[in-house]
Amino acid sequence: MNIVKDNFVRINKWALFSAIFLYLIGVFTPLKYLQPGLLFTFFAGFFCLFHKDYFVSKPRLAGHLWMLPLGVTLFTAFAPLTAGDGNPVLFLLSLLTSLIPCIILITGSSAEKPPRKPRLKAVTIRTVVQCSIFMIWASVTSFCFIKGTRPDMLFWAMFHVTTVALFPVFFGRVLCGWLCPNATLQDALYKNMTFKRPIENLPRAIDAQSSTASMNISGKIDARAPLFPATLLMSWFPMFFAETVWDLTGVAWYPIAFMYGLFVLSLLFKWRKMCTHFCWLSSYRGINCHNSLWRIRYNKSQCRQCKVCQAEKACPFYIDIRNQDNEMPATCCLCFSCMEACPFEGVITFKRAPEEKARIKAMEKQAA
Amino acid sequence: MAEIVEERYITPLANWARVLEIFIPGYMFGKAWGIANAQTVDLYRTIFPPFLIDMAEKMKGLMVTDSAALERLFSTCAGALVGFLVILILGVFMHLVLGDRKYIDSLRFTSITLIPLAVMNGTLSHLTNTLIETLGGGETIEALTKSAVDSPRGQIQMFCIFYMLALWMFGKRTGVIGKRRYFVLLVGIGFLAAYFACGLGITQMEAAEILPKMMAAHGTH
Repeated sequence: MNIVKDNFVRINKWALFSAIFLYLIGVFTPLKYLQPGLLFTFFAGFFCLFHKDYFVSKPRLAGHLWMLPLGVTLFTAFAPLTAGDGNPVLFLLSLLTSLIPCIILITGSSAEKPPRKPRLKAVTIRTVVQCSIFMIWASVTSFCFIKGTRPDMLFWAMFHVTTVALFPVFFGRVLCGWLCPNATLQDALYKNMTFKRPIENLPRAIDAQSSTASMNISGKIDARAPLFPATLLMSWFPMFFAETVWDLTGVAWYPIAFMYGLFVLSLLFKWRKMCTHFCWLSSYRGINCHNSLWRIRYNKSQCRQCKVCQAEKACPFYIDIRNQDNEMPATCCLCFSCMEACPFEGVITFKRAPEEKARIKAMEKQAA
Repeated sequence: MAEIVEERYITPLANWARVLEIFIPGYMFGKAWGIANAQTVDLYRTIFPPFLIDMAEKMKGLMVTDSAALERLFSTCAGALVGFLVILILGVFMHLVLGDRKYIDSLRFTSITLIPLAVMNGTLSHLTNTLIETLGGGETIEALTKSAVDSPRGQIQMFCIFYMLALWMFGKRTGVIGKRRYFVLLVGIGFLAAYFACGLGITQMEAAEILPKMMAAHGTH
């Protein structure tokens, strides 16, 4: 079978959607059967779709990756995540979701050429981490939901105040780009469901909240500048009031409803608008991470202004790196999308170029 | 470049954001003091400064209703008002130290940096509620006392460090220079000292005194 890009995407999407469908049946219907292999199907599907430009020229490699969910499904045939003997029909369907793409991709061939610029190693690592965390989160959540206990404990453990207050000092907002399952969900939906979002253009006052001063500027900000987006603060009161007044803290469906609400909203709004407008963890990290140790540098003197890295095109947080003087602002989630999008070497890097250092020193002297 | 940066300070809804940046951390900070019920109020008085709980309880007494949901709403509001009052007072000290901005901006600085302590208050109230739930679980009084003392202590230590970190980093971020940033830290330390002096946390003695009473009250003895 000749696998062109469209076919490749279609195969992976169908497998992924089937897995999600089976997963939802397993969690929400009285069958209560969850096959562990499904979670690995998520991983393989997401990973192949995230790296479609790379895998489309090497379908056999993608087929090898699909052997992972296939193996796990076979290996755990009699050990579902739920109590009981399992369900043979659902098991068979789970097996097919990984078997079919595996066979098609291993036997298929492609005439597509590999991309000119190879995948950045850091981006590959990020994608693996993102997919793995999402898998763990999905399995723990569904397991707890079936058992009737709090499903979001892992999520909150990950988003404990340590990660909000202490991590940003060292790694910036790495959690937003690498670990947050909400963000992974939004990335996956936005990159692979490329239809025009129904709510594409927000009113200006609301849209501007994704670039408040504290979010868009590296270094010091004016004492008068608002720290959090107004949309976040405005939605905070009703949400927390509802939680307190109706005592939803210990209710199992509340965080689940929250997650699926987010899922639906991600289909309506543009990429990561949920994070920029409504996530308090994301905003609060901005306080501690503006001088983080791990950050990317923009070597302005070497930039050729080709605009490939422009906000909206590459950055999930709508940062226009070309407006920055030398480094990314607090909002940068270290996803390295801009670094990967840049067609030239040495413009967006981890280390500041020596001539850039000299330029900044001269600028600081002038300012002093 | 400088012009672009200046422009970004003036975002739409900025004034709303400024006001809410004071209210919401205040609400989070004080909420825990108001949500104690008849079962838990004594334990709350031991873990938090008792006069803050009493203030919230008095305010709750002004708004009596039969609806459980409305009662929780009033409780939350009562706690939030007390929290906001504390922030207003702490803001005065912070304003004296900062000295480079309007009082409202000092207040924003105070309330945003208090978010770690607000989360701490929430965590402590959660621990208290969990403790009440475990009273009837058949655990020994020694084990209960240990958990009642150790868990809050660990949380308090951690969140106090985060509070200090927030003061330092946020000071740096908003251009608090030189010695002033150390004074900001000193105000934070002073506030923590006052909070502890008023009765934050639970000691071994307090736990040993209150837990048997609570166990008896819950009929688990």
